Amino acid sequence: MTGAPGSAPLLVLDGVAKLYRRGLLARETAFRLDVDRAFAGRQIVGVLGPNGAGKTTLFEMIAGSNSPSRGQVRIAGQDIHRVRYRERDRLAIHYHQSYQVRRFRRTRPAFLMDRAASPYPLVHLFDEPQFNTQDGYIGFMLDFFRRLRDEDRLVFVCLHPTAPFQLDILAEICDRFLFVAGGAVAGFDRLADALADPAVRRYLGALADRGP
Amino acid sequence: MALFEARGLHLRFGDRVVLEDISLSFEAGSLSGIMGPNGAGKTTCFNVLTGRYRPERGRVLFDGQDITGLAPHRIARLGIARSFQMMNLFDDFSVFENVAVALPATRRRVADPVGRAYADPAVAAAAMAVLARVGLADMADQPAKSLPYGARRALEIAVALAAGPKLLFLDEPTAGLGSDGRARLARLIRSLKGQLTIVVIEHDMDFLFGLADEIAVIHWGQVIARGTPAALKANPWVMASKLGSAA
Repeated sequence: MTGAPGSAPLLVLDGVAKLYRRGLLARETAFRLDVDRAFAGRQIVGVLGPNGAGKTTLFEMIAGSNSPSRGQVRIAGQDIHRVRYRERDRLAIHYHQSYQVRRFRRTRPAFLMDRAASPYPLVHLFDEPQFNTQDGYIGFMLDFFRRLRDEDRLVFVCLHPTAPFQLDILAEICDRFLFVAGGAVAGFDRLADALADPAVRRYLGALADRGP
Repeated sequence: MALFEARGLHLRFGDRVVLEDISLSFEAGSLSGIMGPNGAGKTTCFNVLTGRYRPERGRVLFDGQDITGLAPHRIARLGIARSFQMMNLFDDFSVFENVAVALPATRRRVADPVGRAYADPAVAAAAMAVLARVGLADMADQPAKSLPYGARRALEIAVALAAGPKLLFLDEPTAGLGSDGRARLARLIRSLKGQLTIVVIEHDMDFLFGLADEIAVIHWGQVIARGTPAALKANPWVMASKLGSAA
């Protein structure tokens, strides 16, 4: 639980699990991600993890574009997977690089679903934003993340660091960190704590020692 | 009061939000910039501001009038001109004719839009005056297709100016121009400053930093930063970038 004591968390991942299976007769689990966590608003969370570990799947489940196999994703108390498709971005909005990502498999008519209770996205998910040190836009992007936080929103920034400056960025803006690997999501309050974790060190390789 | 104001623009294409709560305002006589990385939503924003797309929510106000959802030609008639990333010129017409046909005096001659209009000395003088403003008076008789790229840009601006707009939008005017062409274009735009309100949409930060009074930075379909070039340049990441070290 990472919410402030006594305050209701903005985002609750309540016993969420996602399973992908393969094989027709001998079914085996090809992918599994379990997450049971809650987050207060007004913070920036850095998300790290190897490719294929489920960072984007996690973001999709929060944004309501990928249904969990079990469990519930609640934003400001609303189960996002019961909210009308067109209104889910009033709760959580998912950007991959420059573009907003949304592809819904519609399984129920809108009139049977709930309306979003917010007029503006409460959770902002930035999936591998393109940070180019050459053009200087990074600074404006980081200021924007901070502004969203100051407006009480919950911001996730997912990065797959390949250069030290990307760790510097995470250290500069993030209030806490998630590491998605091996089907689970680990949480850290400081980047230094994450960088001391053996699994994170294996993932980052040489970069772990060059971090801030 | 601002000459042009957008309040809370929201637009989606299908399931995707392409503009999220964009608010902008431009003071009369100012030169403003809108910049952002490629794919950030600049052109979509521009298309909403100039009436090509109707926003799902939000308002566009010009000169005290609500112009949200008005047809582009009606918006143009109110005094807003725009250029395009892809240049729209009549290649077989001369430089002079391209401007002459865009003059309101010519456009009023519905039955004879081109023919004898130029014979009218007032029309000819007005067209030449516009060409002088963009530095193309010497090339008035050349066919548009013979112009070098940079001069085509200037002619396109002349065509937009011919309508006598209060507000001129320029969409990525440096597209396809080399450094000389950019410098010449910057001089041209600067020379127009104060004569009308100008909004330049650009990917090239450097170009806008040297030109605009105020800049809005757009990314993810939202205004992520705004301020004077001096304030934006003070950002440590901008200072550390190629641009900052060059400036």
